[in-house]
Amino acid sequence: MGHGHHHHDHDHSHDAGGAADVPPALDLSVPDSELSPADVSRRGFLRSAGLLGAGAAASVLATPSAAAAAGLPHSHGPAGGGTAKGGFRWLAGDHHIHTQHSSDGQYRVIDQAGHGRAFGLDWVVITDHGSNAHAKIGVEKVNPDIRKTREELPDLLTFQGLEWNIPAAEHATVFVHPGRNEVGVLKQFEQTFDGSQLPATNTTEQNEAAAIAGIRFLGEQVRARKVEGALFLANHPSRRGIDSPHEIRNWRDADPTVAIGMEGAPGHQAAGIPAPNGRGGARGLYDNNPSAASYQGYPPETYRTWGGFDWMTATVGGLWDSLLAEGRAWWVTVNSDSHVNYLDQSDRGPDSDFEANGRYNDPVYTGKVNTTAGDFWPGFYGRTNVGSTSFSYRAVMDGLRAGRVWVDHGRLIKSLDARVRVAGDRRAATGTPLGGVLHVKRGTATELTLEIDLQDGPNWAQFVPVLSRVDVIVGSVTGPVAARDTFTAPDTRVVKSYEVTPGARTLSVTYRLGRLDKPFYLRLRGTDGKRTQPGLMGAEVDPAGPKLDVLGDADPWGDLWFYTNPIWVLPR
Amino acid sequence: MTDRTAAAATPAAAAPALADLPVRGVSLGHPDTVAAEHWLASLSPAPVLAFTHLVRSPRPHVALTLVFADTAPAGLDAALTSAGTAPASAGTAPASAGTAPASAGGAAGGGGALPAGLVASCPEAVAAYVARSSGRAVLYPGVELLVGTLSVADVLARSAIEQVEVLGGGAADPADLIDTGGFVRPQWQAGRLTLLTSPAAGGRLVPFETRHPTPCCAAH
Repeated sequence: MGHGHHHHDHDHSHDAGGAADVPPALDLSVPDSELSPADVSRRGFLRSAGLLGAGAAASVLATPSAAAAAGLPHSHGPAGGGTAKGGFRWLAGDHHIHTQHSSDGQYRVIDQAGHGRAFGLDWVVITDHGSNAHAKIGVEKVNPDIRKTREELPDLLTFQGLEWNIPAAEHATVFVHPGRNEVGVLKQFEQTFDGSQLPATNTTEQNEAAAIAGIRFLGEQVRARKVEGALFLANHPSRRGIDSPHEIRNWRDADPTVAIGMEGAPGHQAAGIPAPNGRGGARGLYDNNPSAASYQGYPPETYRTWGGFDWMTATVGGLWDSLLAEGRAWWVTVNSDSHVNYLDQSDRGPDSDFEANGRYNDPVYTGKVNTTAGDFWPGFYGRTNVGSTSFSYRAVMDGLRAGRVWVDHGRLIKSLDARVRVAGDRRAATGTPLGGVLHVKRGTATELTLEIDLQDGPNWAQFVPVLSRVDVIVGSVTGPVAARDTFTAPDTRVVKSYEVTPGARTLSVTYRLGRLDKPFYLRLRGTDGKRTQPGLMGAEVDPAGPKLDVLGDADPWGDLWFYTNPIWVLPR
Repeated sequence: MTDRTAAAATPAAAAPALADLPVRGVSLGHPDTVAAEHWLASLSPAPVLAFTHLVRSPRPHVALTLVFADTAPAGLDAALTSAGTAPASAGTAPASAGTAPASAGGAAGGGGALPAGLVASCPEAVAAYVARSSGRAVLYPGVELLVGTLSVADVLARSAIEQVEVLGGGAADPADLIDTGGFVRPQWQAGRLTLLTSPAAGGRLVPFETRHPTPCCAAH
């Protein structure tokens, strides 16, 4: 298809609720020379803001050429998937942290940020709950504390965000790039789109539409240059079964530069530590059951964690894979969801009036050890590792948006470098990283190169974790689904497992992906091998997947996993 | 009281008789099962079979199906049949009959009126009950005997529950022990009344549904 033809005839039925027609500045099939001067300027801004290119499209099939080459119908969106190459600086972070500005929290911003930095994080997002008190007061009051923290902890990137009550669905992290409008944008967003601020008489359809409008609003604030970036991540998506598959697809399509993914594992990872030394509850606090608001197609397995991870991510051939198999770029993260931390010795400030002040008084030391709290401090257990081009707010947001992300629990591994390459190419500056798309001619041989530095230092439970096995998971890319509530990917499976040699310092492997005949993606997973069971789609799909966590007896340190985001290989 | 042998015979014997009794579908707009069970507990006489059903539209709510051994509480049927459009009276009818549920309308819609679009009678729930396609049992033969820690075999013998499964693991071993917590809510699954359980501390099983799941945000 010739350039400049950004309107084209095809079946739009898969695009219900999706993006509108692509403006010329965003359509990379239109060259700069054919744009008006204003659009050239606009494109320059968007490119510098990371809103063009890697990860900025709902689907890796978003350009007509990519889809046509794959023999699949294309999705709407501004551009194809990731194009960045080579290595990156990996910055560890946590996008889900509460403070005294949440009605169920208690800590100061500096308490959370200081611990996060001490426990090895490079970036954090402060995400207090959307609520009446927060929308009116807390969203403003927290900002000076955040700005002060940025000054006091220059080695830590501290974002301001909030935890959105998504209308008709679960919670989500929403955060913006720092700047003079960070509070204004968040406040307007919360007051307009938070579930707590919408009429209780709304129908499900009205609420689902409000969620889409909210995501689009955030993208518009970026395009209007009020903030330099805004991101959305669905939190604890399976906890109550109320994030339906079609809602997740709608969020991504609403604005793929904003809605980028979901928690692969929930926080609250200490909640399953056995009583009396622990809470004795459900890992991740995943102990719910279907309600009338739940998507009724979800099986009971949805509502529990598997090796600490959310069912959508933990199930090979499950919901996450169904999105990836569409070519739909959607990333996973981990986080602490820290509200009140396990074994901490402080309590909410006395004589607080949260509703009036938008915050609790500062916490006080009690001398009593809290064994019933279910959370870890940020950085203590889970890490979201983002491949960044520099140490900056922009670079972290760009890396997240591009899907250059791997996650682990308990510092299972030290570092990871996974790239898909044209077979034989070993140049340091080449190779398609996590989140990226490698376009090659049909028949070209490709291979995965994987370098893992095995852990050689203790984690925060004072032991050196030992990686036992790494799995390569591969699925065909089959294009947009006909039914937007699809949550299985029948062609995705574990194709190769590598046992790690005891005592080894690194794991260095090459996995040959063959000569390309049809589009596919791959992702990686690793484990300490302590708790496994055949996957929910069968042993032939996943012979040794994560095991169902035991209620009241889930030692988080005795069951460690890492997951990477996917890399696609498409014919060009 | 029945002994174990007699109890074991109860469900099988009771089932055909219960199946012949009329089923009432009730939709009062309860937002969740806790509210629906609260209303259920107010009925006198209590039904011998009571199921909750999750209904999505016009907005998510919980309906019930009820089977009474003899007569239904006075006023209930009038409320169901008069429903249709303006069921302000439907939710409160049992209360006006003096049978306790003063909170019936209030628990349902707040202020006594049902939310728009909801009707007190719920053919959808009745259809699910008749087909045994979905539904969660609150009152059923033997439920009062399911307290404390019981073996899977005991649960099957004492109650109308027909099978016990373990999440992610298939059928439970008859010798496995279940900490019932006095809260056992089996569901129709492929036509059989099935109790789904989860592995818990101490090698025990617990019902999949807990009485007090973690609320969405504890302090809200």
